[in-house]
Amino acid sequence: MSPRVWWKVAALFLLALALAQGEVDPREEAKRQKQLLLETAGILPTELIVEQGKELFNRKGPSGKTMAECDFGLGKGVLEGAAARLPRYFLDTGKVEDLDGRILTCMTRVQGFRPDQIRRQEVVAVAFYIASFSTGKPIQVRLLFPQERELYTLGEKLFYARSGARDIGCATCHVTYVGRRAGVLPYADVLGRDKSWTHWPAYRYSNDQIWTMQDRIRACYGNIGHPQPNLYSLPILALELFMAYQNNGAVVEEWPAFVR
Amino acid sequence: MKLKKLFPILLATPLVVALAQSYFTPSELEAIKTGGKAYAEVFLNQRPDQALCSFHRNRLPADLLPQFLEEQRALIKYPASGKLMGDWKKGGAIFNNLQKANCFSCHFGSPVHLGGDVGPSLEKYGLKRGQSEAIQRYTYEVIYNAWAYFPCTVMYRFGALGGLTPEEIADVVAYLLDPESEFNTKPAVGSK
Repeated sequence: MSPRVWWKVAALFLLALALAQGEVDPREEAKRQKQLLLETAGILPTELIVEQGKELFNRKGPSGKTMAECDFGLGKGVLEGAAARLPRYFLDTGKVEDLDGRILTCMTRVQGFRPDQIRRQEVVAVAFYIASFSTGKPIQVRLLFPQERELYTLGEKLFYARSGARDIGCATCHVTYVGRRAGVLPYADVLGRDKSWTHWPAYRYSNDQIWTMQDRIRACYGNIGHPQPNLYSLPILALELFMAYQNNGAVVEEWPAFVR
Repeated sequence: MKLKKLFPILLATPLVVALAQSYFTPSELEAIKTGGKAYAEVFLNQRPDQALCSFHRNRLPADLLPQFLEEQRALIKYPASGKLMGDWKKGGAIFNNLQKANCFSCHFGSPVHLGGDVGPSLEKYGLKRGQSEAIQRYTYEVIYNAWAYFPCTVMYRFGALGGLTPEEIADVVAYLLDPESEFNTKPAVGSK
């Protein structure tokens, strides 16, 4: 069996075990699962993906440059704490970019890849690698440029919006019903106590998925029957900027994270 | 005197409507369009009542409530047969289907799935409430359009937004109320 398949089997087994034991604090449970995986496999899926991301980061693109030639916000090649300060406005593109978007910019503008050559799994792996340099760092995003303020306002409005055939809205559950349960997990206090912005990028052991916050937001919509926004689109970026700013000062416990 | 009282209301009414119709600005809607056609359409076609709940973050000011409730009430339609209690077996299939009505995710009481606690527990609902015309009507109307009783609540407006037909809602009413229904004869998953 390949390592990924093995993990899937192990994760499903552990999940079934957890469900059989009844309700547990999901955060404590994630820590326990992580420890179990580490003890049985010797290495975590997050570490493997970070390693893959490192290789991709140091791979030369068609232009002959590696990603070390790119500026992720703190200067060319500086990764220490860079992800904790995203999303932010970049002067060279004239756009607000998050980690995913900035990796795309780096691969296209600096490394010379065509957009159709870029695989999503590669972007996520590089995001895991770059984010790993922000473990222990506080979230510090700012609303300095008008573009940042406009996107923040849009993100806040989207967060409180009711839309679609089911009157869906993020705040309707993640503000009003924090701690209540619909399905397996209680609703996270996304803007407050749970500091959900700091939980992504992450490996989800329950589904063997590697996700950034972009994927997480899309899943939020999709799970409840609302059309999903495209990857790398402005509504996703706006929601990210809003959540990141709301979680400013929160210290990243571990990036990439390990979640249910 | 009468005119003086009316004047601020007349002035305020178009303002409320204007606010309700423009939760997002045109430039924000342009940004939302980058999310793709299906995603954008949901916001481009945001209903005025949805816009009002969005704008007030689900807590409508008291002065807007009478009109809001009246408008929500006006959306409610009834089965052609006039019967508010249908087939409880069909209702159970709707109640317990995640893709269909997904009732159990938020409400406790299903004998099939462990229920959540976002909404009130409905355990043995029919045995506790009886089957009077009043309770049938109340149950039907809350499922058809929850916003007619609980403005801006999280519960889907099944009838009003087309998730369920009037007949399907009557089936769910029967599942909850009929003393023969397994919802009332079988223990709820997780009951003590």
